[in-house]
Amino acid sequence: MAEIAERAGASLTSRPWVREFFRKEDWWAIWIGLGLIIVATALFGAGSSIKWLAVAPQKWSHGADVAAQLRAHGLQYGSLFVLWAFAFGIGAAALGIKISKFLPAFLAVFLVAAFIYFLGQWDQAAHYNLEPPLVALGLGLLVSNSIGVPRWLEPGLRVEFFIKTGIVLLGAGLPLTLIAWAGPTAIVQAAIVSLVTFGTIFIAARKLGLDARLAATLGTGGAVCGVSGAIAVGGAVGAKKEQVSVAISLVVLFAIVMIFVLPLVARTLSLSTGVAGAWIGTSEFADAAGLAAAQTYGGYSGAVPGITGSPDAAVSAFTLMKVIGRDVWIGVWAFVLSLIATTRWENTGVTTRPNPGEIWRRFPKFVLGFLIASALITLISRGYDYASYKKDVIPALVAPLQAFRTWAFTFAFLAIGLTTRVREFARFGAKPFYAFAIGVAVNVVVGFVLSTQVFAGFWNKL
Amino acid sequence: MSAPQTRCRECRHFNASPEVLESALKGLSSLSSAYATVRSDDGLCALHERYLSADSRCAHFEANSQA
Repeated sequence: MAEIAERAGASLTSRPWVREFFRKEDWWAIWIGLGLIIVATALFGAGSSIKWLAVAPQKWSHGADVAAQLRAHGLQYGSLFVLWAFAFGIGAAALGIKISKFLPAFLAVFLVAAFIYFLGQWDQAAHYNLEPPLVALGLGLLVSNSIGVPRWLEPGLRVEFFIKTGIVLLGAGLPLTLIAWAGPTAIVQAAIVSLVTFGTIFIAARKLGLDARLAATLGTGGAVCGVSGAIAVGGAVGAKKEQVSVAISLVVLFAIVMIFVLPLVARTLSLSTGVAGAWIGTSEFADAAGLAAAQTYGGYSGAVPGITGSPDAAVSAFTLMKVIGRDVWIGVWAFVLSLIATTRWENTGVTTRPNPGEIWRRFPKFVLGFLIASALITLISRGYDYASYKKDVIPALVAPLQAFRTWAFTFAFLAIGLTTRVREFARFGAKPFYAFAIGVAVNVVVGFVLSTQVFAGFWNKL
Repeated sequence: MSAPQTRCRECRHFNASPEVLESALKGLSSLSSAYATVRSDDGLCALHERYLSADSRCAHFEANSQA
């Protein structure tokens, strides 16, 4: 497997634009996600289904139920591991991660994720707040910040690789018509919040005497797409290394806190799943962190009295708001800020000519996979009326892809916790902290008002 | 004859290796990744101690002998 990937990589070194398809995890998330969707669709077209492989824990009450499930489906779980190990292993090898180091680490991730997935299906799980995203995150944080993560486990902790693959698979559950219907509203709401949040952090940071490049890096981290936003703009404006480190630390710190706080507040206010998902999509910083919060909240539907809406509405609203509304604009932010940095800010002795090509180069390509997945399933569903869609298409095609997605997300949530080490955070000082915190406060309030008042009727329909 | 390469990507002070970036920028792999397309080919300059676009230039360029 490693040889295949290495040979592919070696033969492509002379063609940088082709190499991009194999050396960036966004593209591998597309190959894996769309690959699974295409195979599932082909089997469905042939009158079969991929559901045997998309095994997932079922509700249980006693330990004996779990043992019975494992006895009955052990071969399926083993096959599922082989599938994921093969797919992620090839991707990891192409990215330059040694396959011999990735596989043992990924086996551990898979086993712990399976344990968490099973735990979430316990009929008392909701009573004890054992939602899988929070358990995965909490367990990971506990281990990484107490006994520490063994070095051999690190190659398997690819948060973004897992989450992007899950988002591509998520596209299969969101009809293109829904994206077209909700996308413009998501873009408007996200644009308002992004501009207000960036402006708040940037102005607060400058008033506190911070450098413009740090202010911009912090601002995009809080307003657009978290750590990814911070590194995209940090590079575009030529920020100091420690400025990027400070922005990353602050984003991670606040994002982790928000995973727990946003669902808790939304639950206290009994927000519907669609509205809560939209709020989380506006006010969380990173895709992985926001999906953990949104999936947690979706799990309250039907389990917590007073919370209306379908479980999927929280994740759908989050994805529309965050991925379509915010993530796709990062290249534009990077280009505009590099233009301002070059023409308006202090000369650092390094010249970067702003290039509109950056907009495409920095575009989060996995979004294309998400849209293609949505288009494919929408196309296939066209020949079915609603009753046939529910009876035939969902169980044989959509539900198995949703199960794959849940697995990928669970790997990611566990990896977030295991890679977040508080003691490794860069020392950020009071001023960057205040600037960022002010921006977060404004963001949360504006996002809440837009989600629960201005566009509430819209998000409730999801 | 091609023009001399003076961009950071060919400079010996510049390092855009994803492993190096994830090790140097703690927390990067928690909620993002050095393998993401949003990073483009940005990297760290050891001379200026800045995180730069690979297409940046400066007066202290030194060709990377391994390039």
